[in-house]
Amino acid sequence: MNAVIGLILRILLFVGLYAFLGMAVWLLWKSITGAKLRGGMIAIPTLTLTTTIDGEQIIQTYTSSEVSIGRNPDSDLILKDDTVSGRHGRLSYQLNQWWYEDLKSTNGSWLEDLKIEEPIVVKDNDSIYCGDAVFKIYIKPLEK
Amino acid sequence: MLLMVCVAIGLLAAALSLAEGIRTHAEKLIITWHYFIPYAIWLLCTLLIQRNIGRKLPNRDPWIFPATALLIGIGLLTIWRLSPDLGLRQSFWYLIGSGLFIYALSLPELIQTIRNYKYVWLLLGLILIILTFFIGVNPMGIGQKLWLKVFGIYIQPSEPLKLLLIIYLAAFFADQLRPNMTWINSVFPTLIVVVFAGLLLIAQRDLGTASIFICLYVLMLSVTTQKRRLLWIIPSLALIAGLIGYFAFDVVKTRVDIWLNPWLDASGSAWQLAQAQIAIASGGITGTGPGLGSPQFVPIAFSDFIFTAIGEELGLIGASAVLICLLFIILRGIHIALCSKSTFGRYLAFGISAFVALQSFFIVSGNLGLIPLTGVTLPFASYGGSSLVTNLIAIMLLLKMSTQTSTQELPDRVRSPYNWVASLISIIFILTIAWNGYLAFPHQQELIDKAENPRWAVYDRYSPRGEIYALSGEKLVETVGESGTYERRTNVPSLSNTLGYAHPLFGQAGIEQSQYSFLRGYAGIGWKDRWWHETLYNQPLPGLDLKLNINLAMQKKADNLLADRTGAVLIMNARTGEVYAIASHPYYDANLLQENWQSLLERSDAPLLNRATQASYPIGSLATTLAFESVWSNQNSVQLFTPEVLTRYDSACYETIKANQLALNGIQAGCMSTAFDYLNAADPKSLLQKLSDFGIFSAPDLVIQCSQPPLAPELDELNRNPELVAQLQVNPAQMALVAAAITNNGLMPPPALVNAYLNPDGKWVEINAARPDTEVMAQSVARRIRNELAPTNQAIWYQVGHATINETQPLTWLIGGTTSEWSGTPLAIVIALEENAPDLPQNLGEILLDYSSPE
Repeated sequence: MNAVIGLILRILLFVGLYAFLGMAVWLLWKSITGAKLRGGMIAIPTLTLTTTIDGEQIIQTYTSSEVSIGRNPDSDLILKDDTVSGRHGRLSYQLNQWWYEDLKSTNGSWLEDLKIEEPIVVKDNDSIYCGDAVFKIYIKPLEK
Repeated sequence: MLLMVCVAIGLLAAALSLAEGIRTHAEKLIITWHYFIPYAIWLLCTLLIQRNIGRKLPNRDPWIFPATALLIGIGLLTIWRLSPDLGLRQSFWYLIGSGLFIYALSLPELIQTIRNYKYVWLLLGLILIILTFFIGVNPMGIGQKLWLKVFGIYIQPSEPLKLLLIIYLAAFFADQLRPNMTWINSVFPTLIVVVFAGLLLIAQRDLGTASIFICLYVLMLSVTTQKRRLLWIIPSLALIAGLIGYFAFDVVKTRVDIWLNPWLDASGSAWQLAQAQIAIASGGITGTGPGLGSPQFVPIAFSDFIFTAIGEELGLIGASAVLICLLFIILRGIHIALCSKSTFGRYLAFGISAFVALQSFFIVSGNLGLIPLTGVTLPFASYGGSSLVTNLIAIMLLLKMSTQTSTQELPDRVRSPYNWVASLISIIFILTIAWNGYLAFPHQQELIDKAENPRWAVYDRYSPRGEIYALSGEKLVETVGESGTYERRTNVPSLSNTLGYAHPLFGQAGIEQSQYSFLRGYAGIGWKDRWWHETLYNQPLPGLDLKLNINLAMQKKADNLLADRTGAVLIMNARTGEVYAIASHPYYDANLLQENWQSLLERSDAPLLNRATQASYPIGSLATTLAFESVWSNQNSVQLFTPEVLTRYDSACYETIKANQLALNGIQAGCMSTAFDYLNAADPKSLLQKLSDFGIFSAPDLVIQCSQPPLAPELDELNRNPELVAQLQVNPAQMALVAAAITNNGLMPPPALVNAYLNPDGKWVEINAARPDTEVMAQSVARRIRNELAPTNQAIWYQVGHATINETQPLTWLIGGTTSEWSGTPLAIVIALEENAPDLPQNLGEILLDYSSPE
């Protein structure tokens, strides 16, 4: 009685283990053989940011899921302005939306006249103010 | 996905909770509830983490955490099953780890921060290691002092150091490596750091972690510099370090020696490794079932050897699942590295994957005997808080990085080393699984049958061993108690030397050992029944009862004769070879083995020795019996036995003959000088042939262990010195067979100690029923010998023999048997006493004459 139940549990355990592993391996296989390396990853709408620095318009397009903004030269979007912090803010694609997050910058970030305290969703044509600098966001919707 | 993992671990906990009831064959459902405690804690932590990563990292790789949780769950339950105490501690460590995981997850710029402070982390790690030199401890009290004790908690700094080193290397390479950099300023600083850390660890004798550091460094270097040929450093360095270590460090030498051949010292230094392989073999393909195996026989099964515990109870299927799961995490990690947005992220993700891969490979292959053992933990599964927390943080970093992806294709030049390492790791893991399969299946039976495998003792406790009966029906050895507490009890302690013992500490001996397959329920039962029972319970079926040919009344007489004397008696049916009595004194009591073991080993009178079969006694003057035919066949021999000759015999012999009024002549009284006369008169060639016919140079075909037979002397040697025969060392069982052949008209019967086994249908089935007799002399010769040696008016013949053991200890032999005037069963007897025993012939009369046929 005990032993038969035990045996059934063991068989179920093996079935469960291998069902999980089977799915995992299948996914792995798909991502290896898939045309693109990022097989398992989701598609991200292309982001274009524009800003004006020293009277010169800069347009940059990004395909990554995260874009850092700041005065530091290793930022994805460099805002050369003394009121901008080294690492000022960050755009990231999560839950099928682009989000902007202020990284505790000295002068803060603003969406129009709204001070950004916690991550917010940004839309096409939004403008974000970082200190005295400003950049504009264009999001190209995903192709169906 | 996580749900499947939760269900699987729940099933494992449920299976474990049933184990006690299954083992003891309980009628009712018995559930050991405490296995659900670790499950509850595991579930709580796992779901908490899942909830938090679900919120904070919605775009994470969705598979890595469930796979991690699966490994942690299997590990935690296995630790708990081995030791609930350690299991509870590990549960708390998982709680602490989850707390840190969730806290670190909420830090917004964690990856950037750890990158910026790379030197701080490195220094911190190194300082912690250095601290262990001064205030290091070992939680087990002995061994390497690799731990720090902080507020009553033991921390092993080498675990976090591994992660800190990866972070440092990733940050350094990401910052410094530029196409035009020279080796000196790009690689040299990291080399110094790694060598320094490695030396610290080698000084700590933590060779496993040191090797992992070096391999990790080479892997990261070859990937970041995109130089595949750097990978060759690993095998060449391993070889060089191995050779140097082999001759410089004792630790390394022992490790390598036991790796090369664990079976040379399987009960000593290689015990752990040998036990590990036996455990894997015991698990086989499907495993013994959770809670039903005996993984505790492998020392430190909860930590370094947890893989063998999993392999035993979940079998090849479960062990492969663990390896596949680890490989999956590693490959996903490398995948994340390739998709990473930043160079630092790419190096970090790769470093973490490589670290998990190296650590898993080192310990699993070490457990399986593929590479020399290095004591590191199996990631996520092994007991060890520092390791679990470090690995959890590493997974957290991987998850974070899996959200920071880039859709940009990397150039092939950058990508190919990653793919290359990933393929290499996959191949190594597949080979490891294959080796595990080899141990678990084709090599399984050989490993299970090793003498070092103690699992039979566990089987004996839960499934009754067969009982042993005398031919006369009395129970000699029985199994008492109930499932879980079965014990073996001997009812006739004086037979212990022959029956042997089956003791969990001292192993098996005698009949218990030689008839193991019947007594333990392997032989004599159909394979389907056995297989089904073993699948259900991981126990053999109840053993089959055995019937020996021992006649208890005769055995008592033999025991009475020996009483406090030192020696052996063996009585057998001269026609069939059935052994009716086999006595060896002093004897031990198999019931009191544990109490007396040490003194039994130390006593000079060797009570553990079965003198009837294992003693090596010189033939002495018994050689006359063996030489009769050769003397008679020698044309040149003269009539040896005349009263005149008697007078030149030695005085001791003369006294014996005089005192012993039964003795008719010097041969019967066993005079050494008579024997030498006979040997000198014999034809050496036919004497040598006769000795061989009598089986002097071959061990008797008895089921219990016999002493090594003597080597046959060269004919030249025998020609020069015929008296050599008297020095040949034989055991009493051999001489009993000679006596049987003389009694049985020249036909030597095969000795038969075991009569039959009781098959599952309740019928006795004879064992070895049809073995042929061996004709060792002509019927007429046998009769003539009997006549020469028979006293008047008695239906028996006998010859006394004298010899000296080790030049000081006198030995008295007596071989004898019944003559054709005897009305009952023809009997043969041998008595060997380690003393001068002039009264032996009277004793013989006592034993044989008033004996009525046992049939």
